[in-house]
Amino acid sequence: MKTSSFPLIHNRKAMVGALIVAFILLIAIAAPLLTSYDPSARVGRPHQAPSLQHWLGTTRIGQDVFARLVYGARTSLAVGFGAGLLITAVGTALGIIAGYRGGKVDEVISFFTNMVLVVPNLPLLLVLAAFIGQASPWVIALILGGTSWAWGARVTRAETLSVKQKDYVKSAEMMGEPRWRIMTFEIFPNLISIVGINFIGSVIFAIITQATLEFLGLGDPKVVSWGTMLYAAQKASALSVGAWWDILTPCFALAFLGIGLSLLNFAVDEIANPRLRTGNRLGRWQALIRSGEGRL
Amino acid sequence: MAFLLRRLCFYLAAFVAAATINFFLPRLMPGDPVQIMFSSAGAELPPESLQALKLTFGFVDGPLWQQYLTYLGSIFSGDLGRSIKYFPLPVTTVLGNALVWTVGLMGTATLVSFALGTFLGILAAWRRGSLFDVIVSVGAIFATSVPAVVTSLIVVFTFGFTLGWFPTGYAADPALDPAFTLEYLGSVLYHGILPMITLCAVLTGGFAVTMRNNMINLLGEDYIVMARAKGLSDTRVMLWYAARNALLPTVSSLAIAIGTVLGGSLVTEVVFNYPGLGNILYQAILARDYPVIQGQLLIMTATMLVANFVVDVSYVLLDPRLKRA
Repeated sequence: MKTSSFPLIHNRKAMVGALIVAFILLIAIAAPLLTSYDPSARVGRPHQAPSLQHWLGTTRIGQDVFARLVYGARTSLAVGFGAGLLITAVGTALGIIAGYRGGKVDEVISFFTNMVLVVPNLPLLLVLAAFIGQASPWVIALILGGTSWAWGARVTRAETLSVKQKDYVKSAEMMGEPRWRIMTFEIFPNLISIVGINFIGSVIFAIITQATLEFLGLGDPKVVSWGTMLYAAQKASALSVGAWWDILTPCFALAFLGIGLSLLNFAVDEIANPRLRTGNRLGRWQALIRSGEGRL
Repeated sequence: MAFLLRRLCFYLAAFVAAATINFFLPRLMPGDPVQIMFSSAGAELPPESLQALKLTFGFVDGPLWQQYLTYLGSIFSGDLGRSIKYFPLPVTTVLGNALVWTVGLMGTATLVSFALGTFLGILAAWRRGSLFDVIVSVGAIFATSVPAVVTSLIVVFTFGFTLGWFPTGYAADPALDPAFTLEYLGSVLYHGILPMITLCAVLTGGFAVTMRNNMINLLGEDYIVMARAKGLSDTRVMLWYAARNALLPTVSSLAIAIGTVLGGSLVTEVVFNYPGLGNILYQAILARDYPVIQGQLLIMTATMLVANFVVDVSYVLLDPRLKRA
């Protein structure tokens, strides 16, 4: 195996994952070029099966499913990455502060972290969203950021505790560097793989949870996203009337994005912890799906 | 003992925190909190019932701390108010009936997928790099990264609507009376199979990956080499030397998994129209039945805390180092 300064490129899982995510990102950006239909307008007869005119059929109220899919990708990705960034930022900051400062500060932060971890997340989010009413995607991203940082904080704290003992941190302390500087420039760069895993994990979590909240009817039904597509299709009993395209389209989109992000996450995990690699056999499976170049 | 006592105090604090969120949420929203909480009741609720509800949720004349203590008082005396949708049923009754179904479904699914996932993880780690390992690892990535909503919908579409093998709703045939008859129990099993398969599909992968990774990290340890050097059989080394120790962190991941199961079972129940907590919550959200929504958070938190405590106790039993601490 070749070692490289960009280990992600030589990992097939990472490549496949990155390709999937990039593909969805591209679709989201190019949405207006891919379809001429307005995603929220009524453009055809209700519940038509896929045809040349409507590639993925129409919804109960005659909207074009393909247009909703590509425009919905924008919302799902934006909320996923926005909330993921927020979750990671809060978790990393609290974790580093708790781990580095120790003492009373650590006790307080750890106590809250453990408490947030033990209160079940989805019911808590549901209660919050129920009081807010029809939550817009950005409100959902905000409450996700406010309630889901605990896992990241715990992992980052544990890692900070070991990095803190390293010589370069001790010498920075001896030289009288301020604490914020040690935390941002000495400790943070050495936690980057943990932060990366945390970030991708949070993005997956945010995308899944947003879709779930919207599916349960807590989102704003006027917004076009994969979650509201599921909600509208379920409400129109798409499955029992046989309109499978209406409900399976957002299903497969969510599954596809989830798989792409998870592959990336596992790859980062394997690079940070080389023992976990599955070895060359993985190539067999990957040859099946004919991924790009690169050796494991 | 001290360890368990400390955990108990912590869980009590966590429960109070959940109650505090319930208390402050309506008061933080713009507008009149009483109006927000009970607006869905309309004119249907008799005035004295509304008065009683207000008292339960701490809407009394007096400073905030007095309101807060009133609310905590009603919760700790087991009074969660009355449901507005199912008036005059108390929230505890509505949720208690549903809890039986959820715990039954969730508990069985957790145990099955924990056993299955752990077993797959052990074998995959033992034969690291083999085709089996690849299938388990990649399968686990797929299974854990697909949202529970999606898994549920695809399962119900395939086995419920397209193939028509299993029922797509209810916990039992509605024509049957609930009783401990063979017919009724059979019907419960038959209706439970699809939600069960879905939950296991969501959960097994996570347990398998945790176990595999723990095992792999342990397989390089000296005592494993030692066991092999003694000439012990492969199965004995795998199960009694590696797996036994790798199980320990998995047990603590079980505690966190219970939260995920609760979330997963919420949506699975909605998709399969299963009469558990998730479905009650869904109906309550549609009807803006806030007493039930709030009660739900408390009941779920309590369930989670009890499950965590059970895990703590088993941890003490499994790890003798904690007994001395």
